Amino acid sequence: MDKYYIKYILVNRLRFITYFFLLIFFLIILRFFYIQILQNNYYSTQAFDNSIKIVPIAPERGLIFDRNNIILADNKLNYSLEIIPNKNKNLSEVVKNLSEVVKINLLDIEKYKRILKNSYSNNSIPIKSNLTDQELANFVTNSYQFPNVELKERIKRFYPQGSSGVHFLGYINRISKKDLITLDNKGQRENYIGTDYIGKTGVEFQYENELHGAPGYQHIEVNSVGKALRTLKIYPAREGNNIHLTIDHKMQEIAENAFENRKGALVALDPINGEILAYVSMPTYNPGLFIDGISHRNWDKLNHSLKKPLLDRAINGLYPPGSTLKPFVAVAALENKLRMPPFKINDPGYFYLNNSRRFNDWKIGGHGEVDIIKAIAVSCDTFFYGLAIELGIKKLNKTLSNFGFGIKTGVDLPNEKSGLLADAKWKKKKYNQKWYGGETAITGIGQGFTQVTPIQLALATSKIAYPNKSIIPHIKLNSQQLKQKINQTSPIIISDQTIKWVKEGMERVTEDGGTAAFIGKNIAYKIAAKTGTSQVFSLKKGQVYDDEKLPDHLKDHALFIAYAPSKNPKIAVAIIVENGGHGGSTAGPIAKKIFDYYLSNESNK
Amino acid sequence: MNLNSLQNFIFREIDRPLFGSVILILLIGVINLFSANQQDISNLISQIINILVGIGFLYLICNIQTRTIVFFAPWAYLISIFLLIIVYFFGIESHGAQRWIGIGIFNIQPSEILKISVPLILAWFYQRTALRIDYKIHFLAGLLIILPFYLVLKQPDLGTSLLLLWGGIIIIFLAGISIKFLISSFFILIISSPFIWNSLLIYQKNRILSLIDPFSDPLGAGYHSIQSMIAVGSGGIYGRGWMNGTQTKLDFLPETTTDFVFSVFSEEFGFFGVLAIIVLYIFIFYRCMWMTAKMNDNFSRLLSAGLTISLFSSFIINIGMISGLFPIVGVPMPFFSYGGSSMVVSLVSVGIIMNLYLNKSLIAN
Repeated sequence: MDKYYIKYILVNRLRFITYFFLLIFFLIILRFFYIQILQNNYYSTQAFDNSIKIVPIAPERGLIFDRNNIILADNKLNYSLEIIPNKNKNLSEVVKNLSEVVKINLLDIEKYKRILKNSYSNNSIPIKSNLTDQELANFVTNSYQFPNVELKERIKRFYPQGSSGVHFLGYINRISKKDLITLDNKGQRENYIGTDYIGKTGVEFQYENELHGAPGYQHIEVNSVGKALRTLKIYPAREGNNIHLTIDHKMQEIAENAFENRKGALVALDPINGEILAYVSMPTYNPGLFIDGISHRNWDKLNHSLKKPLLDRAINGLYPPGSTLKPFVAVAALENKLRMPPFKINDPGYFYLNNSRRFNDWKIGGHGEVDIIKAIAVSCDTFFYGLAIELGIKKLNKTLSNFGFGIKTGVDLPNEKSGLLADAKWKKKKYNQKWYGGETAITGIGQGFTQVTPIQLALATSKIAYPNKSIIPHIKLNSQQLKQKINQTSPIIISDQTIKWVKEGMERVTEDGGTAAFIGKNIAYKIAAKTGTSQVFSLKKGQVYDDEKLPDHLKDHALFIAYAPSKNPKIAVAIIVENGGHGGSTAGPIAKKIFDYYLSNESNK
Repeated sequence: MNLNSLQNFIFREIDRPLFGSVILILLIGVINLFSANQQDISNLISQIINILVGIGFLYLICNIQTRTIVFFAPWAYLISIFLLIIVYFFGIESHGAQRWIGIGIFNIQPSEILKISVPLILAWFYQRTALRIDYKIHFLAGLLIILPFYLVLKQPDLGTSLLLLWGGIIIIFLAGISIKFLISSFFILIISSPFIWNSLLIYQKNRILSLIDPFSDPLGAGYHSIQSMIAVGSGGIYGRGWMNGTQTKLDFLPETTTDFVFSVFSEEFGFFGVLAIIVLYIFIFYRCMWMTAKMNDNFSRLLSAGLTISLFSSFIINIGMISGLFPIVGVPMPFFSYGGSSMVVSLVSVGIIMNLYLNKSLIAN
């Protein structure tokens, strides 16, 4: 082979290789152009995701106050020891080591497991909360031994009034899977990043949006092993709003104490504007039990108690109104031009329907000569049997529904019940049975199918006090939403004369000869009221009701509605004492305690 | 001696355009290393020492006679093979591979030295056999490549061994082997590839697999590749600024001073910075190839071309690796990556090319 031939080949191939390499260089430039310019957005995002951890800042939940700035739901700083479940596979060992520093009992572990089971995020879970100062100090000095245990400062809900007012106040609890679905449906899920708790019942539930606020964010720079290096940006959270309630906490306590150990409910309204001054459902329970998820033991205790503490009787308790319905039945009659004074009956103590079926008055022997005013004052059943029959169930129910019976009052609390105004149509549908005249008769004295909630009774009583005011009972002070809602409702239309007669009847209830005469003794103001007794248990024919002989849970419910003072009423109240016997004697004194407090307080102002 | 004559003295035996552009890259490399190193001064100082030692060798080699180089060629080859064997038995292990020999305070990497000694022995061999080059000669040349290739592959160092193989094949190609033969051997390679695949270690297989889709296993084999691409891609047009790259600063990028040193540069200086560096490298490459073409004998041409190809194949593989074109095989960026052996070898290569070019008239036919 020729040397020059080799050189010729070599130079040619050298040129080829040079061009080949230049081509590769060009392709590399294209590659960088593609990655750095065309795909820059994608990789910048990736670099951001790598290095920036977005940490939500949970907003602080708004506080709840009563109308006089007494705090009902507070936030308290609380230290807890928390572990991230993924990082601590071996729980028992961590607990064992931790126990040497901080006391951890079985309940704590049970609670941890319960929260872990329902946890949907990778947030840390408390293994021990509410650290005492001593425990806090112990942990801090030994914290180097527990690299995976975090000391967390949490703001925790605290109900300083304990069980008082629990039914309207409600409670918060950890967000459950079900809550998450609800939040998703409302498009609110993002608002709850970093939040562990949500309102479950009562005001805590009803005003969740306002109380919760909106989360903030923190951009934290992290390195490749996830160690936080510094905070780059903070978008602060919008804290939840504080809420003032219409409740007067002192009155609430007086009312609750007045119930002593009895079950029942009480709703006190300002009849002028519908503000709920007291809202009692007895017995109560401690909302604090729910905050970290209630234990099975406590839940069973509450849920299976015969006293049904979890039931909010004020809006969910359905009771036959008994004689407390009579003033409203009277309005129905008078508005239909029936039984107008001076119309009187002579009451023999019973009423015969169609000369065949006999309905007894509560008073054996009867009340003698009775007009509609006296009929209310002495709660004359005979008068109302005949009245109801003559009026008919349709007209009666129409007036009752004008007073708000059978309809939800629209109170700003969750899951209100609407009660029941029964008629032929309803009975046909429900039982496929005929409506009897006797059923109309007993509706006239508030027995039978008719069911009301205590709040409906309170609202209806307010409407007697001020028929020209259109009000909606409500628990949040100065609610704008409510003002709009009220503007859409119209007041009940009753003639002045009708109202005058009915009011007179109710005023005479607390006068001598009235069914609650003893309430009216020795007081500076006048109470207009109506007592009621609703049967829990139907007496067999010929049987006589004997308070002494019946077991407690079969005793009649005592009912009491009232407003005071009778001129320019400032407060209206409806009270039910379950198995309390006669309305005037058990429920009446509770009303009086409230009125005493409120009216003496009012005049001081 | 005025400044001008001092300048003349210093650059007497040096190709100024080539030397100037290499110095420029070295400077940029040091500045980049400062950031890549998280501002660790000690590493920076040892890199500067590497550069100074390299420039000393470069300068020395420029000023020796070409025949000295020819004389040393077989010895250099034998010594490198000997060192590889020592590595095999006594080498220092790191990252699952045994590549270094400890000598006093520093370690040397014999596989780097082969980047010079393989082209040297091939050029020497073809020069010795200049007038009777046939298939037997090419076959023997092939054996001279296979031996170090195998030893380096066993370390294991897939990147460097393939680089040696590739550089050697190009020299054989330049030496005149027939195209037909090359193409047929290529097909033989394709056919035998399953056997080669089976002889690879798991981590090498994973690396190759991760090339096909690095995102298929983002936390495993593809992790380095992905993090490097994120660094490069997030650099954008202008870069994130010197010492401001989060991928580098927050340790997402692995091996920021060696294999991924150019990812750091790409992240912080962006496309324009990358373009400037690539243009500089292209200039150096073109200058070397131009000088090679100007040489008058085949020893010089083969050696000069071999060294240039070796340097720039390393460059291409490294830059292709950090931009996700190639698998992560651990090949340094010449003049840029931290490392004494690589730096000295790169500068010595440039020194040899300069020597051959400057002495081209002396060995004219």
